[in-house]
Amino acid sequence: MVQPVRLVTSAATLRASLLLVGWLGVSYPASAAETSTYSIRWNTNSTPPMVEAVGLNEKALRQLQESNWQTADWQKLLSVYAGQGDFMTDMSVPAMLGSYQVADNRIRFQPQFPLEPGVRYRAVFRPSKLPGSGEIRKADILSIFQLPAIQRQPTTVVAQVYPSADVLPENLLKFYIHFSAPMRGGHIYERVRLRDEVGKVVELPFLELDEELWNPEMTRLTLFIDPGRIKREVKPLEDIGPALEAGKRYTLEIDAACTDSAGLPMREPFRKSFRVSAPDREPTSLASWTIKPPKSGTRDALTVNFPEPMDHALALRVIRVANAAGRLVEGASALADHETRWSFTPQETWTAGTHQLQVQNNIEDLAGNNIGKAFEVDLLEPVQRRFTNQVVRLSFEVR
Amino acid sequence: MKPTTRSLVVALIALSCLALHAANWTQGMKEGKAEFKSISQLAFGPEGILIVADTKAAAITAIATGDTTPAKETKALKVEGINQKIAGLLGTSAEQLVINDMVVNPISRSAYLAVSRGRGPDAVPVLVRVKAGGELEAVSLDKVKFTRGELPDAPVDGVVGEGNRQSNPRQESITDIAFFQDRILIAGLSNEEFASTLRAIPFPFEKVAGGTSVEIYHGAHGKFETRSPVRTFVPFNVGNEPSLIAAYTCTPLVQFPIKELSPGAKIKGKTIAELGNRNRPLDMIVYQKDGKDYLLLANSSRGIMKISTDNIEKAESITTKVADKQGQSYETIASWTGVDQLDKLDAGHALVVRKGEGNALNLESMALP
Repeated sequence: MVQPVRLVTSAATLRASLLLVGWLGVSYPASAAETSTYSIRWNTNSTPPMVEAVGLNEKALRQLQESNWQTADWQKLLSVYAGQGDFMTDMSVPAMLGSYQVADNRIRFQPQFPLEPGVRYRAVFRPSKLPGSGEIRKADILSIFQLPAIQRQPTTVVAQVYPSADVLPENLLKFYIHFSAPMRGGHIYERVRLRDEVGKVVELPFLELDEELWNPEMTRLTLFIDPGRIKREVKPLEDIGPALEAGKRYTLEIDAACTDSAGLPMREPFRKSFRVSAPDREPTSLASWTIKPPKSGTRDALTVNFPEPMDHALALRVIRVANAAGRLVEGASALADHETRWSFTPQETWTAGTHQLQVQNNIEDLAGNNIGKAFEVDLLEPVQRRFTNQVVRLSFEVR
Repeated sequence: MKPTTRSLVVALIALSCLALHAANWTQGMKEGKAEFKSISQLAFGPEGILIVADTKAAAITAIATGDTTPAKETKALKVEGINQKIAGLLGTSAEQLVINDMVVNPISRSAYLAVSRGRGPDAVPVLVRVKAGGELEAVSLDKVKFTRGELPDAPVDGVVGEGNRQSNPRQESITDIAFFQDRILIAGLSNEEFASTLRAIPFPFEKVAGGTSVEIYHGAHGKFETRSPVRTFVPFNVGNEPSLIAAYTCTPLVQFPIKELSPGAKIKGKTIAELGNRNRPLDMIVYQKDGKDYLLLANSSRGIMKISTDNIEKAESITTKVADKQGQSYETIASWTGVDQLDKLDAGHALVVRKGEGNALNLESMALP
């Protein structure tokens, strides 16, 4: 017989009552043996929720308290299973990890991890496994519980894609996709596509890494173009061809099926259309950067103009400002004009004197060329034997 | 996945190192709770010491598992739906579970799986052990002997102070780790700069001082050498030269001498095979059969490759453009489909995680080809 479980006591909070909405919480004897006084409760007043077996007599409770049971022994008496959506699979999944205790006239199972919305949990209490019991004929008690899947409207969108320009070099190295909220990893390469100008999907343009290169907050995905698909002067892999070719238009598409950390899809798909220009094989040079110094006594932004767009993440991370004493100036940097203009607003006002722009030489342009070092190294030239994470400096006066 | 020795010569070197270090492998370890932000890659060192890479924390932890009772015999093992069973153990659905790596303890032959419970920023890392009989258990890390070292960012010369105080979105994924003689080798890939780095950290360590970082270039694209990330690698003795054989993401197989892994060095690797495009290497082991050494490489789309090491010491570097495949010969083992994770179980068997029915992944022992 199926009977709903009384899930909350008179002391239950309003919060718990609200949580009840949409629950599936039922318990019933697994087979028609003797009628049982036992039942299973899902106590959601605790975090994570606890599963409780109630209706035990004093003697049984005392015996349990005095027992020296290990987890495996407890699991024979009371165990909870996370359903995998398939009957045969569910019969073979092990019991969930958690801890057991006897308190307040009941057995409490506290799962080690929180219960997940949408997962169907099954608790089984087996009175026949009570210590020294004459309950051998008592039927197992089963209870099913499910937190409702999240029902709100999708809100997450692609906030920005860098590089932001609509003309990109043929040997472009990467895209950064910024989402408006934290995302879930996995399957991302199935949800990101590149189409050519007739709408045909470009085959395997991205370097697909199991690791999926997210930032720690999972709001930014780095998408490398497969270096084996970047066109070179000597054509690399003849049967597949380059991912991007100069003179053509492409569209980067991001599916609405990408899921955010709440498990919801995107509010809408995203498209970025761009034209491809000639490849850029020149090392980056600071000599071509122009600095517009701020005035002393102000908190005006220092601005630096690049002759070509720079890599968004690296330009924000590896350009810094040092004062006349050689100390780094604290402040915030920003990029504008399709990553061709860097600006820096200090926390304190500028003081007069010779300042330095300090740039790590691993800064990259859109094709991965560094300061003084092109992305691709010509084999005919000797390989540099050492590399260092050097800093290149440009001086400017604050007056 | 990454056995520590490859041939008799290497075995002898390792044995001599073992004799030197025998009492010292757990030097500097403390007992307590080993904490992780993620568990991404695993490798076994000597005496049941498990090396754990934590990409999110940019740290390496060595744990004395105490799992040092030698296996008496290897039985065939098959755990169907290992992802569903682990998900059940952790109270979630298989869709919310990621198996990041699987290694076999060469002493007990238990399998250890690096798992993420959840796919978002708050995913919880869990270490799961599957015993030789197929029983699953979560490895408690609350009270273990361990040592932990953080991988420092490459130092930047002459920079003093905080500068731009913005959150740093840079993260270096650890794509593979291995233990070799008395060092932990770590391949990494940044989510910003496109470069392959390899670190060699002496073991035992109390902290990772500076580490070693190298750049490796290979020449599989014709005239140019390209920086590219290493996906998986194994230590291997080429002739008498302890070497690393590294599979790159697009898929050259590159060899370089371990002795060149010194701080700040720029190593030019020798491309010994080009294994074909539209493919990603996933995992690699070395084994012996009929007196010969083979590399076994699992791939995303070209199946399992059994690669001959015949005359590998005489191999010429591939420096010209390659239409598809070239170099060391290999055969594709057609019956090994859908392999995601691979490690050596014993002399005659591998243990794999491979795709099963529906969304199930199976943990299976397979006779080495």
